[in-house]
Amino acid sequence: MLKLGLILLGTLLVVAIFAPLLSPHDPSIVSGPVLEPPSAEHWLGTDLPGRDILAQVVFGARESLVVAFVAGALTMFGAVLVGVLPALVGGWADRGAAHTVVLLLALPGLPLIVLIGSMAGDSRAAVIAVIAFIGIAPNARILRSQALTLRQRGYITAARGFGGGPMYVLRRHLVPGLGPLAAVGFVNWAGIAIALDAGLAFLGVGDPTGVSWGLMLNRALDEQSIYFSGMWTWWVLPPGLAITLTVLGFTFVGVGLEPTFNPRWLRAT
Amino acid sequence: MNDSARPAQSALVEVEDLRVTFDRDVDAVRGVSFALATGDSLAIVGESGSGKSTLALCLVGLVQPPEASGSVRVAGAEMIGADRETLRRVRWSTAAIALQGTPFNPVATVGDQIAEPLRDRLGMGRSEAHRRASTLAEEVALDPALLDRYPHQLSGGERRRATLAMVLALDPQLVILDEPTAGLDAAMRREVVSRIRALADRRGCALIVISHDLPDAANLTNRVMVMYAGQAIELGQTRRVIGEPAHPYSWALVGAHPVMNTTKDLRPIRGHPPDPRNVPIGCSFHPRCTQAEAVCWEAHPPLVESRGRSVACHFGGLKELLQARRISKSFAVGDRLVRALDNVSLVVREGESVGLIGPSGSGKSTLARILAGHLAPDQGRVLLGDVELPASWRGGSVKALRRRIQLVMQDPTDALSPRLTVAELVREPLDIGGELDGADRRRAVADMLECVGLPCTGSFLDARSHELSGGELQRIAVARALVLRPKLLVADEPTAMLDASEQARLLTVLRERQIEMGLGLVLVSHDMAVVRKVVDRIVVIDHGRVVEEGPSQRVAVAPSSSTGRLLVEAAPAFTAADDPMEPPTMTEERSQR
Repeated sequence: MLKLGLILLGTLLVVAIFAPLLSPHDPSIVSGPVLEPPSAEHWLGTDLPGRDILAQVVFGARESLVVAFVAGALTMFGAVLVGVLPALVGGWADRGAAHTVVLLLALPGLPLIVLIGSMAGDSRAAVIAVIAFIGIAPNARILRSQALTLRQRGYITAARGFGGGPMYVLRRHLVPGLGPLAAVGFVNWAGIAIALDAGLAFLGVGDPTGVSWGLMLNRALDEQSIYFSGMWTWWVLPPGLAITLTVLGFTFVGVGLEPTFNPRWLRAT
Repeated sequence: MNDSARPAQSALVEVEDLRVTFDRDVDAVRGVSFALATGDSLAIVGESGSGKSTLALCLVGLVQPPEASGSVRVAGAEMIGADRETLRRVRWSTAAIALQGTPFNPVATVGDQIAEPLRDRLGMGRSEAHRRASTLAEEVALDPALLDRYPHQLSGGERRRATLAMVLALDPQLVILDEPTAGLDAAMRREVVSRIRALADRRGCALIVISHDLPDAANLTNRVMVMYAGQAIELGQTRRVIGEPAHPYSWALVGAHPVMNTTKDLRPIRGHPPDPRNVPIGCSFHPRCTQAEAVCWEAHPPLVESRGRSVACHFGGLKELLQARRISKSFAVGDRLVRALDNVSLVVREGESVGLIGPSGSGKSTLARILAGHLAPDQGRVLLGDVELPASWRGGSVKALRRRIQLVMQDPTDALSPRLTVAELVREPLDIGGELDGADRRRAVADMLECVGLPCTGSFLDARSHELSGGELQRIAVARALVLRPKLLVADEPTAMLDASEQARLLTVLRERQIEMGLGLVLVSHDMAVVRKVVDRIVVIDHGRVVEEGPSQRVAVAPSSSTGRLLVEAAPAFTAADDPMEPPTMTEERSQR
């Protein structure tokens, strides 16, 4: 499963990096007739103003990956800050953080994103920030519980008994103990971020002039005639499949990583 | 009684700075001084080769210059360098010695040999001498009919009694017995000991017993001198020296003896006695000593007054390795304060093992954690040697101190990170300390694994904790605690998760390591049956207080506290099916308190 996920994400990464080479046309300018079905010139056809769909799918990969990585990284950074550090310090910091996490969990995620997204207008950064923000609470809760059990582990006490300082314990025991969980959280939230981002674009929140899979869906489904013709096969299907496969890729990697990071699965080589 | 090495005014025997060197380089006796008053008794004990027998030979002038130097005066006569006439006058009539083994001529009857000195020295006639020999035989409880037999026709005990008769023939003031009970069975030994004791008392003669058998020596004499590598290292009243030995060697020697009133397993003294050709400089015991410091390498300690006897140790005897003084600790449970420890004090001496025993919730684990520095006490102090341990973890010197005390926890699966391999686990303490370089570290890890009876092959070193059994894990936990070479090991219920066989293996490993590495050991347990096999002293703790403390044989057999009695009764024992044993009712009696 991990392999499949890595193949999917690897392909996506290659496509994103080499987008200008792979794409036959510029995605943001009209390069052919309106709503042309797939042809030799436009492999996946064109959309309403006549822009190449393949080019949009290819360049949309860039957009999605940026969202995935930036939002995923921000989320986990916040989760460590709120979930792990106070748990290790203990005392009032820990109690404060615990209450904060509960409060954040109570916030309704999607309405918040829509609200802030529409208020921020066409700022991509604001959208990514909001997606990252709502990911903090659930991830912080998972990391926090792990940090709390780790803190009481005999081997941590033992390491301190051997004379190990806090930095040693962090490096040798806490990071290896929390890292896998954080990695899985990152991958999972990256996948969710792509889906959320696409959803927002589909709802019309964000920059209407950009190139992204969500925007493509938004535009295609705005066109009433798409429900009565075969246009959807080349206009809706490619971005839909791209989103699905990418989210699947992240999910596969996340699920695949879990056993690998569990020491019980590690074998002597 | 004067225990000091200075000869008393009216001493029968005065030995001063006696030295014996055989073949120019074999130092058998190296500067021994002591005095013995008329009618007093002294045991000279020590391992084989410690110079006891050579010392005895010197007392009757059997070793002379150039081998011997110094002074040995018996009843005022100097034996070192004495002429034949003096020696003849003193020997047998003033100081008689029974040499090790059988001092008989195999081709003469026993009676003739007992009579020989009587005829030779006192000029008695044949029949008178034989009558006197019969009286002597009766005195030592030897059937006079046996006097006509040859030595090989007598049993070991009979020969020993015949020897006594021969030694006593001229009514000497000093009787020297070299290994008087060696080779006898237990019943015979007991009988010979009481016979000698009675004879010495009746005749009022001074007695010097040379023996490597401590219990016999202790039963025969008032005072004892412990010898090591040709030197006296402890000299004092027998009751004191055997009861609470001060010198680390005497302590180990007493511990090595199997006697009925210890419950602990036999414990050899670590290392080997020194080669008399090449005795270590400084204190000759320092290579085997657990508390040796730089000074022990450099200077030879004189025999000086300490703890009511004379001890040749730079530290006046066994040091106190760990002291916990008036420790109190409370925990907040909800809004209630629960007192886990209340004014608890505990001492662990060098190389000693102490059992900390008590029912669940008695505070023993809390104390273990405080001793190991994993928990700070509310009140009280913990001292390692004479350095007080600070409550905080921080600071470089504290770290170094903390590592001298290591804790083995109850649950090895919790104490060992599941992410690390065996090699990484055992190496972790060295990694933290930054000690040794790569190859030395690997060797230290391999050595330590071997010490605890684990393989150090590649596949085992690369294994992780979930691939190993509980017993193996606990032994790894012991190995990583010992790899730092601590002075004290605190083991908190180390066998709680193990089956009986693994428990036996782990305790054996612990005891072995304790002896070999000269560790202090605190074994925390609720199981009296386990504790008494491993420790020298037992401390019973209940409701956060020490309720009883004493040598393990006493606490494990005749406890004085109710908690101690309960723990003894509750200790596992095999009982026959037709002997229904009433299950001990812990809670009932405890609530009565």
